[in-house]
Amino acid sequence: MLTEFGKIFVFILLAGGFVAIALVAASLIRPKRPTKEKLKTYECGEDPVGSPWVRFNIRFYVVALIFIIFDVEVVMLFPWALVYKNFGVYGFIVGAIFLLVLFLGMAYEWRKGDLEWARPKIEPPKMDIKFKPEIAPRPVEEKTVSEVE
Amino acid sequence: MDFSSLYDSLALIKPEIIISVTLVLIVVLDLIYDKNKKLVPYLALLGLIVSGIYILSDIANEGFAFKMSATSNKFGLLALDSFGSYFKLLIILTSVLIVFFAKHSVEIENTGKRQGEFYTLLFGMILGMMFMVSASDLIMIYVSMELLSFSSYVLAGFIKLRDRNSEASLKYIIFGGVASGVMLFGISLIYGLTGTTNLYSINAALQSGNINLIVLGFSLLLIVAGIGYKISAVPFHFWTPDVYEGAPISITAFLSVASKAAGFAILIRFIKTAFVTNVDGSGNWLLVPVFDWKTLISVFAILTMTLGNFAALWQDNLKRMLAYSSIAHAGYLLLGVVVFSQIGIEAILIYFAIYMLMNLGSFYIVMLIADKTGSEDIHDYSGLGYVTPFLGVSFAVFLVSLTGLPPTAGFIGKLYLFIALIDAKMTTLAVIAVLNSVVSLYYYIRVLKHMFLTKPNGEVKEIKLSTANVVYVIVLLIPVLVLGIYFSPLVNFAESCLAFLSF
Repeated sequence: MLTEFGKIFVFILLAGGFVAIALVAASLIRPKRPTKEKLKTYECGEDPVGSPWVRFNIRFYVVALIFIIFDVEVVMLFPWALVYKNFGVYGFIVGAIFLLVLFLGMAYEWRKGDLEWARPKIEPPKMDIKFKPEIAPRPVEEKTVSEVE
Repeated sequence: MDFSSLYDSLALIKPEIIISVTLVLIVVLDLIYDKNKKLVPYLALLGLIVSGIYILSDIANEGFAFKMSATSNKFGLLALDSFGSYFKLLIILTSVLIVFFAKHSVEIENTGKRQGEFYTLLFGMILGMMFMVSASDLIMIYVSMELLSFSSYVLAGFIKLRDRNSEASLKYIIFGGVASGVMLFGISLIYGLTGTTNLYSINAALQSGNINLIVLGFSLLLIVAGIGYKISAVPFHFWTPDVYEGAPISITAFLSVASKAAGFAILIRFIKTAFVTNVDGSGNWLLVPVFDWKTLISVFAILTMTLGNFAALWQDNLKRMLAYSSIAHAGYLLLGVVVFSQIGIEAILIYFAIYMLMNLGSFYIVMLIADKTGSEDIHDYSGLGYVTPFLGVSFAVFLVSLTGLPPTAGFIGKLYLFIALIDAKMTTLAVIAVLNSVVSLYYYIRVLKHMFLTKPNGEVKEIKLSTANVVYVIVLLIPVLVLGIYFSPLVNFAESCLAFLSF
């Protein structure tokens, strides 16, 4: 008799086997007509040329972070959606409060301008405070285009 | 389904609910008034005061919140008792003082529009601490500790313009990540040994026997390391000087008092709830013999105060000196834990109330001087005592109190700690602690020597104080002086707050 973990093991074997069989069967059946475009690495429509160590726009990270926060938080709604009928009106109110707090996060990002792709103006830091920085800010190295590449 | 226990739980955590609601309201206010941040501190104060009133009115209430299930298991995620309430009151009081502190601070004012976020994150810290001091479940301890830590990592680097500031934040987050990982490993080992994360159930499992004491000792060391990081006990103190020096000074003051108080509260609750098998007639705790508890904590305490005091001798930066002095004070406070009795805990409660006043006072004066002269270096303090006698004299009182000399409140705090030690027949420890206080006298008085006796190099400008600054210093100064003479109300209050929830 299989244990609980044994069942999982069988499931893993089946899943792996299915992928292997599907790939092998596809390579046997499909027509092979390669072109230059088809053989390129797929990179979301970007031209996959050059070193991957280039600077990204920081906005990518902000959007990714916002996505993760909301994604994780919305997952919390699934268990609530399954049982909220048992809780009656109170359950509904609790869910509404949760969504309200989520909405507040959304409003916060909106108001602080994190959802706008092109920021209108970057305010340079003003150094009118009393403290002197102990280490002088590093001068920005101006790189020519050839150096970057 | 039975909701009555859930409603009971919500009724028990009213102060925490108010803090959460205030946090949300601060965000809303921050969003509505984009330019004007004047109202935010007042809203924060209002929330803190209402929460404090609820703590005071419910101080006699006891009970478990968020029970595992209404019938079978009576222990819950939070244990509400007067011990926790005392620390919550301490945290609320510190927060009120810190809100004024930040309001007067030029550093924070210069952040302009980001001030709203400052108070939001501050409330995140407060909420984490308030859950931490009453947590009676390892998971709850961990989650609340992380809530406290994450907010404080951001706040430590809140002033982006200084390199030191970012350095502080980075060092804090790296040390914090390692410490919480280590602690989580310890928690997982304890769960593996006992099959529960609830401190009360762990106690029951330990008393029933059949526990591998070596593994238990190892996991305990890991958890103590995690908590030791929060209270900056040697050898987990490496982050303290750099973070305290780099962080905005209002956050430094907050970390050195409130965050340390929460750490001590959870250390005491952890030991008391999970490992005490019996309390004898005179209030001494009998512990599960995992290892020699007294020796272990004594070694931590001696190392902490000795290293803190001796390292502080060489510091020229006042913030850094106060950072090492706060490490030393953590060492003195650990002595109260070493005793493992009601008297020791009472001494800790008294010491913390006094420590809050004198430490906040010293940091506030350092901030006032730094805001005006732009320096925290001891050599720039020359002659300041004569130019602004009010600051000089009040700084003298706070520093003398930190040393622990009569007639200031610091003396009473140390007196109760040493009485507890001698009562437990640990004279050697008491002698070491007194010798340490003597060492600390040098670096505290050195500041005063610079302020009053060293000839300044050039003209010393007078430091102009606003009425609010003077009132703030006096509000801290009067209790420090009065508690040195008339301390029975504080002692009685601490004595009435010693009750732990037991079963």
